[in-house]
Amino acid sequence: MNRTVLIVGLFLATAVVGVLFLGLGKDPQRIDSPLIGRTAPSFALREAGTGDTIALEQFRGKPVVLNFWATWCAPCYEEHPILVANARRLGSQAQFVGVVFQDTEEKILKFLRDRGSAYPTVVDDAGKTAIAYGVGGVPETFFLDADGTIVAKHDGPVSTELLQANLVKAMQR
Amino acid sequence: MNPGLGRFLILASLLVATAGALVAFAAGRTGSQEGLKWARRLAYAFAALMAGATLLMEYALLTHDFSVSYVAQVGSRSVPAWVTISSLWSSLEGSILFWGFVLAAYIAIATWMTRDRYREYMPDAIGVWLSSAAFFSFLLAGPANPFHTVPIPPLDGPGPNPLLQNHILMVVHPPFLYLGFVGMTIPFGLAAAALIKGRLGHGFLKPIREALLLPWVFLTISIMLGGWWAYEVLGWGGYWAWDPVENASLLPWLTATAALHSMMVVERRGILKGWTTTLILATYLLVILGTFMTRSGVFNSVHSFTQSSIGPTILAFLAAALIFSVVLLATRIDRLEAEGTIEGAVSREGMFLVNNLMFVLLTFTVLIGTVFPLIVEAVNGKQMSVGRPYFDSMVVPAGAALLFLLGVGPALPWGRATREQLRRALLPPLAGAAVFLLAGLAFGVRTPWTLLALAFGGYAAQVTLHQMWLPLVQRLRGGDSFANALVDGQLRRGRRRFASYIVHAGAVVTLIAIGVSSTMKSEGEYQLSKGQSASLAGYTITFLGVEDRAEPHRHSTIASFAVLKNGTQKTILHPRMNQYETMREPIGTPDVYTTAAGDVYLSILNVDRMQQSVGVSMVQTPLVVWIWIAVILMGIGGLVGVIPGRRSAAAAATAGVTLSREDGEGSPADGAIPRPAREGA
Amino acid sequence: MSTRHLAVIGALLLTTALPLPAQPDPPPAPHVPDASQFVGQPAGAPLEGAALDRRTSEVSALLRCPVCQGLAVADSPAEMAVNMKGQVRELLSRGYTEEQILSYFEQSYGQFVLLRPKFEGLNMLVWLFPVIVLILGAAIVWVKVKKLEKGPARPPVQAAVAEEDPYLARVRDLVGGGKP
Repeated sequence: MNRTVLIVGLFLATAVVGVLFLGLGKDPQRIDSPLIGRTAPSFALREAGTGDTIALEQFRGKPVVLNFWATWCAPCYEEHPILVANARRLGSQAQFVGVVFQDTEEKILKFLRDRGSAYPTVVDDAGKTAIAYGVGGVPETFFLDADGTIVAKHDGPVSTELLQANLVKAMQR
Repeated sequence: MNPGLGRFLILASLLVATAGALVAFAAGRTGSQEGLKWARRLAYAFAALMAGATLLMEYALLTHDFSVSYVAQVGSRSVPAWVTISSLWSSLEGSILFWGFVLAAYIAIATWMTRDRYREYMPDAIGVWLSSAAFFSFLLAGPANPFHTVPIPPLDGPGPNPLLQNHILMVVHPPFLYLGFVGMTIPFGLAAAALIKGRLGHGFLKPIREALLLPWVFLTISIMLGGWWAYEVLGWGGYWAWDPVENASLLPWLTATAALHSMMVVERRGILKGWTTTLILATYLLVILGTFMTRSGVFNSVHSFTQSSIGPTILAFLAAALIFSVVLLATRIDRLEAEGTIEGAVSREGMFLVNNLMFVLLTFTVLIGTVFPLIVEAVNGKQMSVGRPYFDSMVVPAGAALLFLLGVGPALPWGRATREQLRRALLPPLAGAAVFLLAGLAFGVRTPWTLLALAFGGYAAQVTLHQMWLPLVQRLRGGDSFANALVDGQLRRGRRRFASYIVHAGAVVTLIAIGVSSTMKSEGEYQLSKGQSASLAGYTITFLGVEDRAEPHRHSTIASFAVLKNGTQKTILHPRMNQYETMREPIGTPDVYTTAAGDVYLSILNVDRMQQSVGVSMVQTPLVVWIWIAVILMGIGGLVGVIPGRRSAAAAATAGVTLSREDGEGSPADGAIPRPAREGA
Repeated sequence: MSTRHLAVIGALLLTTALPLPAQPDPPPAPHVPDASQFVGQPAGAPLEGAALDRRTSEVSALLRCPVCQGLAVADSPAEMAVNMKGQVRELLSRGYTEEQILSYFEQSYGQFVLLRPKFEGLNMLVWLFPVIVLILGAAIVWVKVKKLEKGPARPPVQAAVAEEDPYLARVRDLVGGGKP
C-alpha cells in the first residue's frame, strides 16, 4: 500500500467530485448583479411611440420596477401580461418602466398594440443602459426603492408572487 | 414495435455486460480458462446487442418512425438524409447510444485481437471494459433512454439543432471525438489489468501502446475538427477559445500524449511503469470528466448542445472510477516499480521526464482554469470567469517549452553522452533555428513569443527531418539498395520510429502555425454598399450584392464579395445568414478563401436589404490552413505506427535480435542502446 | 407629461444630490448611464485612428460577452457584444484607461465579465497553482533522476533476467502461455 498515492489520489478525487457536485444545480447563464444595494445608474431615454424623454429620476419617491425586454425574446411574451396586470393593479404605488434593447421601434409598438400596455416603454438604442445595468440576457427585472437604490434583480420571466415579494422589499427600505 | 425491441436490446446488453464483467473478474481471480472463454463470449454478445440497438435506431430515424421518442425529438421529414443519419449523435440520448455502439466495436475488436495472447491479463481487462459497458447500458436503460414509446406519434418532428445542420464538419467531428474518447476505455482496461496483476511485463507494453495510440489518433483529429468547425461556423475567425468543452477534449489528449512518451522510457529503461499506468488511468478519468462537463449543463460552452439530467449519474460513475483507480494505484504501484536506471539527466530519457512534466503541468493548468469558477462559487458564492487571456498567458510558455523539447529531446542520445557527442547532436540544428527566425523577421514577425516559437520550431524541424530519415541514410551508406533501405529501414523495421517522427513533424508545423496565425492576424469591420470595396492586409473585397434562397428547413441570405489581390480577382466569397424555422436568431456562416500563405475570412454582421448594404467582418489570418494539414499529418503518423506489425512479429519469432531493435535504431548515437528492460521476478 | 409630474421630478432632483446637470426645462436631456458615474473622469490620453482600433480589440478581448457561451466580446458576433465593443471604443476614445474600463464593466457585471481573473483573494490560487505544480513537479523529477542515477531500487535478480528475456516473453505471449 502506497500511502502517498492513496492520500494524494483521494484528495484530488474528493476535490474534483466535490466541486463538480456543488456546481450541479447551477445555471451557468445566470449572472449575479453587483449593483444590488447601489444607486441605479441614471438614464433619460426616448419613449417608444411618443418620442418623449423619460428620466429614471422622475420616479423617485416610489418603488420602480425596471424591466429589460425585447420582442425577439420568447419569455418576454410570457411575462408581459403579468407585468401589465400588476402595473394596473398597483396603480400609483409602484412605477413600472420597460427598457427595450436590440430591437426596432416598429416591432415594439406592434407588440404593445397587440398585447396591451400600462406603463412607459423606453428605447435603449446602443444598449448602453443595458450594459450599465449589467444585463446579460432578456428578460431581466430590477427593483428600485423610493430612493432609487437597486434592492433586487431577477433573471428570466417574472411571476405575480415574485413581483410582490420584491416590491415589498423595495417598500420596506 | 421499434421502441419495444430497442428497450429489449438495451436491457439485454446491460444484463450481458454485467454478467460478463462478473465472469471476467472471477476468471481473473481463479485463472480459469473456461471463465475467460465465457467472458469473451459475453463481450461479443454485448457488442452484438449494442450494435443491434444502434442499427435499429438508425432504421427508425431513416423511416421516420416517430413512435420512438428520440426520433420524435430530433427527426424531421424535411431534412436531407445525411442530417437524418447524423442526428443519431445530435442530441443526448442518441449520442449515448452512439457511445455504446463505439464502445461495443472497440470491445469486440480488442477482444478479438487479444484472443490467443496475454492470458494472464485479459480476464481483468475484459472485466473493466464490460464494467464501463454496463454503465453506459444502464444510462441507456434508464436516465437517457432513447427508446421510449410515444403513445400518439406526431406526423413530423422538429429536426436536430440547427447549428448541427449548418455544416458538414458537424457530421464528421462527433464520430471522431467518440472514437477518441470511447477508445480510451481499452488502454484503461489493459493498464488496470496490469495493476490488478501487479505486473507489467515487457510483452504487454505493445498492446497497451497500440490501444492508446489508435484512440489518440482519433482524438487528435477530432480536436482539430472541432477547432476547424468553430472557425468555419462561428464567425469570429478563430479556432480555439479555451471553452470548457474544448478544454474537456484537450485534457485526455494531454495525458495520453504524455503516456505515449513515458511508455518509451518504460520500454527502454524499465522505469516509470507506475507513472505510465497512472497517466493511462488519468486519461480515461479525464474522458469521463469531459463527458460530464459537456453533458451536465454546469459549464457554458459554444459546443454543448445537449444539457440534461444525466449529470449526477455521470458524476457518480466518475467518482466510482476515481476511487477504483486511486485504490488500485495505491495498492499496486509499488509492485511495478523501477528495475532500471538512467545514466544522466541530459539524455533522451531525461528529456522524456521534462516532457512529461510539461504535459502534466498543462493538464493541471487547463483543468484548474476550467473548474476554477466552480471552486470560487462553491467557496464564496461569487461568480468569476477564467478565459482566454489566462490560458494564453499560462499555456504559451509551456507550449514553447514543449516545442523546445521537440527539438532537443530527439537530438539527444539515450544514456550518458560525452561532451563531444552532445556538441555533435545539439549544434547543427541551430542552422534550422536561424533559418526560421530570419524568415519570420523577413515576413514582419515582431512578437517575441512568435519569434521564439519560430526559432524552436526551426531547430525541431531540422532534428525531426534528420532523425526521420536517419535509418535510410545509414543503410544507403552501408551499401544497401535504395528500395531496400526505404522499405526495410523506414517502413518495415523502422516503421515505429518513422511514424513517431511524422507525428513530430506534424506537431512542429502545428505549433508554428498556431503561433503565427494567432499573433499575426489582421481584422477589420466594414459597412459596404453595393459596389463598394474595403482593403486589408493586401487583399481588397468588393461587395457585389445579396440574394435570398429558400430551402425546406431554412432560409438563407447570401452575400457575394469579390476578393482581389494586386488587382487580380482571386475568388468570389459567399458568406451567408441562415434562418432556421425553429430558431429565432439567424446563424451566420462565414466564407473563407484559403491559400497556403493565409486565409481571407468574411462573415456578415448585418444586412440592410433596402439599401443593399451589408456589415462585414474581414479577417486575414496567415498559415491557418497548415494547422489542419499538420494535424492530419500527425494522425497519419499515428496510424502508421499503429498498423499491426504481423511481419515484425513473425520476424521476432525467428530472430530474437529484431526484437530489441524493432524500431530500427542503429545510429552511432544509439550505439549504446541498452537491452530492453527486464522483468523483476 | 403633466406639469405637476415635472414639478415632482424637479423637487426630487433637488433633494437627491445626483451627478446630473441641472435640468431647468422639460423635457430632460436624453442621456444614457455614463462611465463617469462608475469610475470618474478619464485617467489617460484620448485615443484615435489605428491605436484606437488596436486597443479596442485588445481591451474587448479581456471582457466576456454576457449573452454568449463564454466567448470574449472581441470574438462574439452577438449584438450585445457588438454594443459592448462600441462602448469600449467610445471610452478609449475619451481617454479612459484599460483599468478604468475593466472596472466599469466589473461594477455592472461583477468579476464574471473579466476573462483574466484579477490577482486578488481566492483568485490568486488560479495564478499560483500552475507555478506550484511546476515547482513541485520539477522537484519530483529531480529527486527521481538523482535516485535512478544511483541505481535501481531493486537490482534485477540474475535468474529472473534469464527467464524474463524479452524475446522469451514475446514468444510466450505469442504462443499464449502467460506466466501466472
